[in-house]
Amino acid sequence: MPRTNAFIVRASDQVPKHPLLKRFPVPRNFGVTPGSRIERGRTWAAPAGAVRTKAFEIYRYDPDGDDNPRLDTFEVDLDACGPMVLDVLIWIKNNVDPTLTFRRSCREGICGSCAMNIDGTNWLACTRYIEETGAPAQIYPLANMRIIKDLVPDLTHVLAQYEMIEPWLQTTTPAPDRERLQAPEDRAKLDGYYECILCFCCTSGCPSHWWNGDRFLGPAALLQAWRWLTDSRDEAAGERLDLLEDPFRLYRCHTILNCTRTCPKGLNPGKAIAEIKKMIVDRQS
Amino acid sequence: MTRYRIQTPLGRAVGLGSAKSGFGHWWTERITAIALVLPAIWFAASLIAHTGTDYETFIHWLAKPINTVMMVLLLVTLFWHAALGLQVVIEDYVHSVAKIWALIVMRFACFALAAVGIIATLRIALGA
Repeated sequence: MPRTNAFIVRASDQVPKHPLLKRFPVPRNFGVTPGSRIERGRTWAAPAGAVRTKAFEIYRYDPDGDDNPRLDTFEVDLDACGPMVLDVLIWIKNNVDPTLTFRRSCREGICGSCAMNIDGTNWLACTRYIEETGAPAQIYPLANMRIIKDLVPDLTHVLAQYEMIEPWLQTTTPAPDRERLQAPEDRAKLDGYYECILCFCCTSGCPSHWWNGDRFLGPAALLQAWRWLTDSRDEAAGERLDLLEDPFRLYRCHTILNCTRTCPKGLNPGKAIAEIKKMIVDRQS
Repeated sequence: MTRYRIQTPLGRAVGLGSAKSGFGHWWTERITAIALVLPAIWFAASLIAHTGTDYETFIHWLAKPINTVMMVLLLVTLFWHAALGLQVVIEDYVHSVAKIWALIVMRFACFALAAVGIIATLRIALGA
């Protein structure tokens, strides 16, 4: 992994020379409404006879009770589970606490279900090595989402924002009798954008989306918007740009680049948004 | 606790629809930023050069046409850029009826400060 001091970050595998703080230095629960304050939960000891153990602090929230969210500590037997953070979660669910709730499916970084905040960075639990996490490792659900239970965030709004950019091929020309042709170099323009798996690590990490998420579309939806704007087969670029050109929908992006720093697929949503802005410049001048 | 209107997720996401503008603001902010580079360097360099000079010499220096022009350009661009930038900050962080008032007051303040600076410079330049 290249270590860099670069001001402009191009992908999440650029590790900063001076690591950022794990969390912003304000007191825990600062400014948090009483019902959402995170309390100390219980500690689950490692099973008897475990040799190599590691502590995992995991956010718990049970919507059926009246209790506040809490941070449970699990002592995990590393010899009994696989190498990834997702393996830890599955091990806990199978062996320690079956009520621990999280989404997961493919366990190989392609479905985007197990996106969560691991040691202060949004990432997929299935592609984050246990050995890369701190001691104790801290696992929270994606930030700035309503929490349904434990590590399961409510993605309704961000998925509606994705739906809003109309992520499908739009043409006025009647559909051809054969496949729609695309030159290899035009196809190459989709590289770095079509790979997005909609895990919403980026949108969850975007400060502009924290403050104005009701109106700002967020990096995930905007990267997808660019994926269709740059597709040579699509005929609706004008309408798409009309839909996006808005002080809040698009221009709330202030190139903070948290999205690019956190993308577990190594994509660059910040660049995609800049490309949309450049396309609007092209249209205006 | 925030109470949400009963509304479909898509309806909430679409909101009032696209303003179909925003390019002008964003583009002007960049243009004024570029336009500020030269006057800002000139201003900083001039201040440093005049650390030891007295009031009369400085006034005499400012009254030279080139310096008057640079100063007026600096003031116009600076407060134009400041108004655009502060508008973004207010829109980012103020989420109540205070937003409209904050925007109005901020704009008035930027215009007033630019006017004060320009008129002061011109009075010196024209020896009024």
